[in-house]
Amino acid sequence: MFRFVLRRLVVAAVTLAVISLVTFGLFFAVPSSPAKVMCGKNCTTEDIAQVEQRLGIDQPLPRQYADFVKGVFVGRTYGSGDFRQDCPAPCLGYSFRNNQPVTEIITQRLPVTLSIVFGGAVLWLALGISLGMVSALRRGTVFDRAAIGITLAGASMQVYFFGLVLLYLLVYATGLLPFPSYTPLTENPARWAVGLLLPWMTLGFLNSALYARLSRAQMLETLSEDFVRTARAKGLSTRQVHTRHALRAAITPIVTIAGLDIGTSLGGTFITETIFGLQGLGKATVEAVQFLNLPVVMATVLLAAVFIVVANIVVDVLYAVIDPRVRLN
Amino acid sequence: MRARTRTLTTGVLAAALVAAGCSPTTESGGGGDDKTKTQTGSVSYEPADNQGPAKAVDGAARGGTLTIMQNSDFEHLDPARNYVNVQQVTGGLLYRALNGYKEDGTGKLLLVGDLATDPGKDVNKDCKVWEFTLREGVKYEDGSPVTSKDVAYGIARSFASNLNEGPHYIQQWLYPGGAYNAKYQGPYDGGKPAPDGIETPDDRTIRFTFPEAHCDLPYAAALPTSAPVPAAKDTRANYDLRPFSSGPYKVKSYQRDVALELERNPNWDPKTDPIRNAYPDAIRITFGLEQAQIAERLVADAQADQAALSWTDVPPAVLPRTTAAGVVERVVKGPTQYTWVLNINTQRVTDLNVRKALNYAVDKDAALKAIGGQAAGSPATTLMSPTTAGWKKYDVFNAPVTGDKAKVTELLAGKRPKLVFAHSNTELRTQQAEAIRKNLTDMGFDIVMKPIESSSYYDEIGRKNNPYDLYISGWGSDWPTGSTVIPPVYDGREIVAEGNNNVSYLNEPSIGAEVDQVRNLPAAEQDAGWMALDEKIMREYVPVVPCYYDAAYELHGSKVGNAFLSDAFGIISLNGIYVKQ
Repeated sequence: MFRFVLRRLVVAAVTLAVISLVTFGLFFAVPSSPAKVMCGKNCTTEDIAQVEQRLGIDQPLPRQYADFVKGVFVGRTYGSGDFRQDCPAPCLGYSFRNNQPVTEIITQRLPVTLSIVFGGAVLWLALGISLGMVSALRRGTVFDRAAIGITLAGASMQVYFFGLVLLYLLVYATGLLPFPSYTPLTENPARWAVGLLLPWMTLGFLNSALYARLSRAQMLETLSEDFVRTARAKGLSTRQVHTRHALRAAITPIVTIAGLDIGTSLGGTFITETIFGLQGLGKATVEAVQFLNLPVVMATVLLAAVFIVVANIVVDVLYAVIDPRVRLN
Repeated sequence: MRARTRTLTTGVLAAALVAAGCSPTTESGGGGDDKTKTQTGSVSYEPADNQGPAKAVDGAARGGTLTIMQNSDFEHLDPARNYVNVQQVTGGLLYRALNGYKEDGTGKLLLVGDLATDPGKDVNKDCKVWEFTLREGVKYEDGSPVTSKDVAYGIARSFASNLNEGPHYIQQWLYPGGAYNAKYQGPYDGGKPAPDGIETPDDRTIRFTFPEAHCDLPYAAALPTSAPVPAAKDTRANYDLRPFSSGPYKVKSYQRDVALELERNPNWDPKTDPIRNAYPDAIRITFGLEQAQIAERLVADAQADQAALSWTDVPPAVLPRTTAAGVVERVVKGPTQYTWVLNINTQRVTDLNVRKALNYAVDKDAALKAIGGQAAGSPATTLMSPTTAGWKKYDVFNAPVTGDKAKVTELLAGKRPKLVFAHSNTELRTQQAEAIRKNLTDMGFDIVMKPIESSSYYDEIGRKNNPYDLYISGWGSDWPTGSTVIPPVYDGREIVAEGNNNVSYLNEPSIGAEVDQVRNLPAAEQDAGWMALDEKIMREYVPVVPCYYDAAYELHGSKVGNAFLSDAFGIISLNGIYVKQ
């Protein structure tokens, strides 16, 4: 187990290094100069050169990459004289548009996305998996058909449609809920939950559809397997057969999908954040792209990659915990 | 100044700039019955206008939190870098410039002393030496007194190239000829503490000495550049995040792209302030909301949003719902200082008859409908906006707003000119360009479309040798006189290789001569001079098709009182606004 995790971590580090290199390279394919965008309309050629120097983008590419990596581990200083800006380690860059280190932007924005995704994930997993399992166990009943019908509708809908419908019904037309907003969990848990209810409901309903269908199919398949028949033959109760044997086996592929889903979402739920006016990582990334705020783009792309890589490792480890047939080594 | 972001795109470039305007025809939002306001204002030296406190607003109450919902965060709050109207109105709550605009929503706009006791003394009556006396008792948020040395320091730091985003009138006037900061780059890295030509003989006096006459200085001194910055509190680039307050509010918290919260500055004394009432206890500006989302929320007027407003225009999709009872009385609309024109590249389209034909051909109604109709603006026939002092309507061509095909055919005399029409590739601008293309094609022109990436649009059309014949652009004055419209946009002597504002590239020596002549008129006579020149340019040289005067169309919640469109800034004013209790 330890060796397995260690090996995976090394591979993850290499993957991230490659992604950072590629992202870095891509910035040079951008046609317009970030210095020019930042400098605005009053700028002369010298002003732009000065901004480039301040951003460090007047250096050759390998040097810039080396500076970036160095910044991550020991921090760095941008510019010189009265206008220098310090960026302590781990420095993922400095945003001159926002006048703050990129790590600070991320620590401000990440909790928003984390809250949206975890709340949503709890809902969609609980709802989806239970609906799917119950449907599988009651195959062919009215419940099964209704559940499948609803989930089909959910699976074919989009966040930007369903979210707006909910907004209209619950906020604009009836005023049952306030317009979503983010309050830190540590500050006021009730306001945190109320403010995020709408995005949770939206993500919960739409994603649970997929999980319901998936877990129903998985459960049905597992129920027809030999070891389930063996378990029954051993004289175990139906409940024990279903929960201790069938469910554990059926849930493995669902964990894979859930891990990837959550990992991807953490990189930013741009559409959800936009519809509900929440300032998460997804919006930060898209805004950064609009303003060619490259240090922020770079950092959020890397962070999104970290989430996916980490989610994969977690999923692999969970396999061993959930499914007795899997051994890690 | 170039047009503000709303009409451009999602705010990719710092193209949105401020201006000041006096409005002869501003419509009031109240109850939808648009009454005509009469512009009566100008620079006032009347003691009654210049003395604090500001006149109380009927029915107004102190207290409450006002929320402002915005699409995107400000680019800069640092007074040296502040050149956009929304930022200047917000900045005006945090710091006080030498002069300021006093407004009451009736169309009366007065330029009065803000930090200064009056709008400036023209010492030798030649507009070259100007002296301001600071009010007694004006304090910063820590209780220390505001001094004229801090005003000088504030101007000095605006010379730094790292803080170069603001207006540069005073800077350029102090160092004429060449770039404004060629000789002085601010007090940093060993620079001297104040530029040449600024003296502070004592803590309450500041004197400007310019090599040339600048009768417009009282207006230039209303721009945020002259707000005081104590050297000890100068955090350089980070000053943007937390300007040291000399106004009625101070920064409580500022999370970039998320929210800016202001709270009262207990050391602000209303008796020293003739302009601001500062009724709300706190102001919270929320960023990152979509334009349609903001409009929907304000239309719905849910309890949490009742003390809210937005400076973002209502988008076309939500407009129909703003005419309902309960909503219509919460609309604030009226003209801004921007005029949008279809520029004709006069270097390429040299035939005057073709330029005249274009003026008969353009369907201004269709151009407006494509971006929201009446809410977006009204058809234009002049170069300057109706908010400019001394503005009077004229119409050289007297064509119907939808065009006059017979006249076009006559002027083109059997030719079918082939013209390249460049436009910014945002959704609204593309729709608008398509409407104009269709219209011009029907009228007998061959139009080749050339979409340009929105972030480089003004760069592209600002290159002297650009390969386009027609392109739309907007421009608004920096203060309500023609001196920041006609010279920068129509004087051929301003044309350079790149970064031009004169994008029709009209280069007529006679216009340059007249610009000089108007500039040397006594301040009182300049307004009529600029207006006459406006008409002369259109009558004799036809460098553009005036398309429409930009309009603001904003909403506020039902608990916001005294919300009116500032004629100085073209957005809802905050100085006399209050939250109904």
